[in-house]
Amino acid sequence: MKPEPWWDEFTIEAEPTDRLLDALHYVKWYKDGTLALRRSCAHGICGSDAMLINGRNALACKVLVKEVAPKVTVEPIRGLPVLKDLIVDMEPFFEGYKAILPFLINADDPPDRERLQSPEDRARFDDTTKCILCAACTTSCPIFWGDEQYIGPAAIVNAHRFIFDSRDQGAEERLEILSDQSGVFRCRTTFNCTEACPRGIKVTKAIQEVKRAVMFRRF
Amino acid sequence: MHIQTDRSNVLVLGAGGAGLRAAIAARESGADVVVVGKRGRRDAHTVIAAGGINAALGTRDPEDSWEQHFADTFREGYLLSHPRVVEIMAREAPEAVLQLADWGCAFARLPDGRLDQRYFGAHTYRRTCYAGDETGREIIRTLADWAEAAGVRFADRHYASSLLVADGRCFGAFVFDLHTAERTAFLADATIVCTGGHTSLWHRNTSRADENWGEGMSLALRAGCRLMDMEFVQFHPTGLVAPEDVAGTLVTEAVRGEGGRLFNSRGERFMERYDPARMELSTRDRVALANYTEILAGRGGPNGGVFLDISHRGSDYIREKLPRMYKQLLAFQGLDISKDPMEVAPTAHYSMGGIAVEPETHATDLERLFAAGECASGLHGANRLGGNSLVDILVFGRRAGAAAAGLREARPVDPPPGVIEAASADLDGLAKPGKGSGREIRRRLRELMWEKAGVVRDEVRLSAGLGELKELRSSFEEAGPEGNDRLALARTLDLRAGLETAEATFRAALVRAETRGCHNRSDHPGLDQTLVANSYVRRAPDGSLEVETRPVPPIPQGLRTWAVTELVEETSEHLLE
Repeated sequence: MKPEPWWDEFTIEAEPTDRLLDALHYVKWYKDGTLALRRSCAHGICGSDAMLINGRNALACKVLVKEVAPKVTVEPIRGLPVLKDLIVDMEPFFEGYKAILPFLINADDPPDRERLQSPEDRARFDDTTKCILCAACTTSCPIFWGDEQYIGPAAIVNAHRFIFDSRDQGAEERLEILSDQSGVFRCRTTFNCTEACPRGIKVTKAIQEVKRAVMFRRF
Repeated sequence: MHIQTDRSNVLVLGAGGAGLRAAIAARESGADVVVVGKRGRRDAHTVIAAGGINAALGTRDPEDSWEQHFADTFREGYLLSHPRVVEIMAREAPEAVLQLADWGCAFARLPDGRLDQRYFGAHTYRRTCYAGDETGREIIRTLADWAEAAGVRFADRHYASSLLVADGRCFGAFVFDLHTAERTAFLADATIVCTGGHTSLWHRNTSRADENWGEGMSLALRAGCRLMDMEFVQFHPTGLVAPEDVAGTLVTEAVRGEGGRLFNSRGERFMERYDPARMELSTRDRVALANYTEILAGRGGPNGGVFLDISHRGSDYIREKLPRMYKQLLAFQGLDISKDPMEVAPTAHYSMGGIAVEPETHATDLERLFAAGECASGLHGANRLGGNSLVDILVFGRRAGAAAAGLREARPVDPPPGVIEAASADLDGLAKPGKGSGREIRRRLRELMWEKAGVVRDEVRLSAGLGELKELRSSFEEAGPEGNDRLALARTLDLRAGLETAEATFRAALVRAETRGCHNRSDHPGLDQTLVANSYVRRAPDGSLEVETRPVPPIPQGLRTWAVTELVEETSEHLLE
């Protein structure tokens, strides 16, 4: 039996330039040792501390206290089962990610030396290689909240990264998966995902490009 | 307490680059493979690696060759690297890197479509491939995706508390779930330790709080394996100094590779006095010592660092080549590195030493136990070249994984009765309440290592440090777990490993009465030509640690012309203190 969720309130002192993650650590170390959160690298690249901060998804290690003081509300990201406090079960999220076959597919014999790729072709998918799988986009998406079958923005971003890689031959297969009823056309272009991405990836744009690729099979 | 059992052919401890590469190799050889990692997958320490990965592809500089990569690595390891290990790395690096690119890893490209390569310190040619300054993240993502697709099983957020050892062989590891505390005996035909280094022991370091405590080194030591070259800890020359909570965080060598210059508070480009030929692109040990010396001589900045300036490269160039550094400094300090210099100081970065391994397969002293990556030893000698550790994890991860898969049994062999129960009892002992806090011991350990086993060392401080460490170890014996949350036991185990690998480092550092590479002894400022030997630490049956030295193995026949055999004694006038 899971207990009913509840709110806790803590008052602490912090420097304006401290990060919100520092404030949460302070709470954990000095106020309530049971507070459960996934901690980040503090480098903003591991993607483990995405949470709902004053109603918007962000990484706690990239939000400064001065941006949210004097009072801040912190919740677990939405749409995934809460395990404890700020920790959610990421497994459904990674199921969606795995579904789009996130690896290079190329059935040709390996070349003698290397598969060439021009800087222009490399740049084609550069933006979507920046994803750190923090789930901030997917769990800010109202379609995902309503339907956990929806594959979600993060999975589409990562599909984009391979569909538009000139060395990859798996685009047809991925587009087939994404044209499914839980796929890319569930997107209603609310731009929540783009706003939420801590890496500044143009998520909605990537999704639109994938939609076009599904419709016209051009990539 | 109920103990579950998991059976596999190959058990990999550690989900970083070495562990994932080993898992893929073992899986491709037909083994059932499980990877145990204390963090979520894709979030092991490799994710933080920034600058690049070396391979003598000769893309930019066609004169380059794997022999030259061997020669550079061996020379800059101050003759202490195992020559055969260096040979294997240099020979197999090009194939390893091209294979990774072929698996989808998005390295930077040249206009003709080949992989781009940039300079890293002390390499004769441009041979470092990269993906911006997030090379490690791109590598670990490629490996994790590939491993999942290959059918490798994962136990994320699980902690290995001991190896299961009996009859002179390893039977797997005893593991608990960091969320549920459930205990599982992971039984395997072969086990590979890929758990990283021990640099979290130093006050300022480039690791995250809960990693690089020497966990796997300690497991192996307790299982009867030897550790090699534990005195050699690389201090990266450029770590952030402020704000305090991120002090130590790495400023990648790529900043210097892209033209960054070091200045002291007088505005002098001081590398002219330490290594006028190579300047900022000298080896890490030399630049670290130079920075340390300038700071100690009172020529540092307001936060006790020297200044690293890349602003002359211009905003567009910096944002393209060093996107993460640009954003991090803006976030941490409100500093725009395309306009102003960063203040930096040495920070503990990499363990050159580690578990003693055989060169070809990275088998350890214990049957059916392998080690790869930073927790192993032999490649880097007394100083590691930037970009060599990422290639190390690919080349030797693959070799260890394939060798481990070769040991799979037709029918599983169980450990003798009592082995699993003893491992469980060990955990029970650590969970008992006690006197004092692990947090205080951890803080003191980090201060101790920074002050007594830091950038510059001497016999008086090392001996005193060993004495203080003994006190810390007895306080630890009395202390209870650190905190009452579910991670308390993990922290306690981290600390136990840290205290043990700290002792190994002190003992090896005392034996090495010379200055070589990153090991600076102010009481022995010169190189001892007779000490072309590796130190080995072994755990005696009573738990005490013993050190011996053995000569470095001979250089393979065909490579003698490439290997320097004598180092020219350098002036030690800069070695203050």
